[in-house]
Amino acid sequence: MKRLIVLLCLGVMILPLMAEEIKLTGEMWNRWTLETGDAPAGENTILRNNLSLERGYLGLEPKFSDAVKGRFTVDIFSTDLVKDGAGLKIKYAYLDFNKLLPVPDMTATIGLQKVYFGSIYDWDYTLIGKAPTDEYKFANSADYGITINGFIPGGWGEYALGVYNGEGYKNYGSNLKGNIEPAFLANLRVIPITGLTLGGSFMLNSSERSDSLTGLGGDNPKYNEQKMMDAYLRAAYGPLSLTGEYIIKDVTYPNKPANDMSANCASVNAVIKLNSLVEKDIDLVARYDRSDPTDSDKDENIVTAITGGVNYNFMHDDSAKPAMQLQLNYTTKSNSVKTTNDSSALMLQLKWRFSNTLKV
Amino acid sequence: MKLRNTLIILAILLIGVSAFAKTEKVVCSGSTTVLPIAQATAEAFMDKNPNINISIRGGGSGVGIAALQNGTVHIANSSRPIKTKEMNQCRAKGIAPTAYAVALDGIAILTHKSNPVSNLTVKQIKAIYTGVIKNWKDLGGPNLPIVVISRDVASGTFEVFNEKALGGAKVISSALLLASNNAVVTSVADTPGAIGYAGLGYLGEGVNTVSVNNIVPSKATVQNDSYPLSRKLYMYTNGKAKGAVGSYIAFIQSPAGQKIVENEGFVALK
Repeated sequence: MKRLIVLLCLGVMILPLMAEEIKLTGEMWNRWTLETGDAPAGENTILRNNLSLERGYLGLEPKFSDAVKGRFTVDIFSTDLVKDGAGLKIKYAYLDFNKLLPVPDMTATIGLQKVYFGSIYDWDYTLIGKAPTDEYKFANSADYGITINGFIPGGWGEYALGVYNGEGYKNYGSNLKGNIEPAFLANLRVIPITGLTLGGSFMLNSSERSDSLTGLGGDNPKYNEQKMMDAYLRAAYGPLSLTGEYIIKDVTYPNKPANDMSANCASVNAVIKLNSLVEKDIDLVARYDRSDPTDSDKDENIVTAITGGVNYNFMHDDSAKPAMQLQLNYTTKSNSVKTTNDSSALMLQLKWRFSNTLKV
Repeated sequence: MKLRNTLIILAILLIGVSAFAKTEKVVCSGSTTVLPIAQATAEAFMDKNPNINISIRGGGSGVGIAALQNGTVHIANSSRPIKTKEMNQCRAKGIAPTAYAVALDGIAILTHKSNPVSNLTVKQIKAIYTGVIKNWKDLGGPNLPIVVISRDVASGTFEVFNEKALGGAKVISSALLLASNNAVVTSVADTPGAIGYAGLGYLGEGVNTVSVNNIVPSKATVQNDSYPLSRKLYMYTNGKAKGAVGSYIAFIQSPAGQKIVENEGFVALK
């Protein structure tokens, strides 16, 4: 941790010296959570009732030239849920090269960056919950890699092709599973008519390594190959927007085929903006998730989560984006088989953001 | 009973009349270059249409387009065409940015009044702004270090200048980056070795305007597009402009509106 902090400080000092301008960004999520569910003894009780800095981001976005930009973001949190009570992770550390390839609006991105899978890379947390890909552990939101990403001229959509480590940004050092195979990703979204977005993502990944390095020979039974697919739909018309996503993950264990499994998840969320009715920037939000984490007969359990909520965006930046937001969400989660895992949560979150550009 | 009925009818009439007489609001924000055009034309338009209230803010082209995307303005003023990324974000949110050209402009290259250099090529401008040429004597001028003044990188004027004059190259790090056209003109006027650039509508007597590739920025050279640093100025709306927004833009594009554009120092549409 000390090394990380020293590196962060050095980064903060050195970047402005090289950039022609640098943008400072930050956001903090202060949350109160009241969660109820079954205790180990079997009685329904309060499992969690606490305040936390659930997530915070501090970022530097240096612009070295019209063709080269960087982004460096740390993820900080402070909550009773983890052993040390607080943590610090590097979320993004990448460079964007806009003119490396002679294709308009195409960027080559190198470093710890977004994973362009499903909705995870542009999930805007209009609801407090995470993107389904993240929530149900299909893919990581950030990873080390190289991507080619860009926009289709005329505003017809966007695309990304990438090669990643495949371990995600949360794993490092001894946490890494010794995997030596990269993950491959392809993502495409098209907007055939204004307000309608159709998309799909495909990712190949693997975990652990197949052969043993101990010298004793033998295959690693934990080694697995993953194939993930995501179908995405978003419809926006006036104050209403609706987003739907369906994700499938097939996992095969070449050294232990009996463990082969697949998972799937369907998620729909809707946002209604009420600002034209009440002259305040208020949104009504709702979400329905159905996740089958194993899709196997011997371990069948379908998780259903329903969320309803309201956002009050009470302060905005120059571009009318919310700078301060109060979010109230109520989520009830039920399990088809493992009913003792059923829970409900009431969350009230004050989220605030800032952004300033310094000319160097 | 009769009195009560009469009062009810009167009340309904009053409500009806007040509803029809309701002031329509048009909100614009964005480019500081387009700002004087928007302000002057809005004033004239509101004089003729007292039931329409137009409010205008600056902030820069990017800010205006983001506000259009977020549904908080009716018109985004922009001194550059919308970017693909912005178009994509708008369309995904159900916003259909529609461009209306409202004026033409030339980005004039400015030097101090005492500077005898009267013409620069685009290649020389690029060499100055990227730090290759650092003294006016290399351009036939006095032995005087060049003080490079530019707009901040968030401005639409910078983006057009960067594309047309610099080909996307990075401006020398010692350049003074200023937030408005007025600030550039004032700084060039006060600094003997300075070079800067600003929209035609901002030129004053305290600075020299040099020709570019031997073409003087003028109404004729901007209209026929021969001046290398000419551009269009836009207003973007969500879909085809209708109602009060449509009437206001139609007014700017009309001969009366284009006269105001010229009075503000910009060039009328062809």
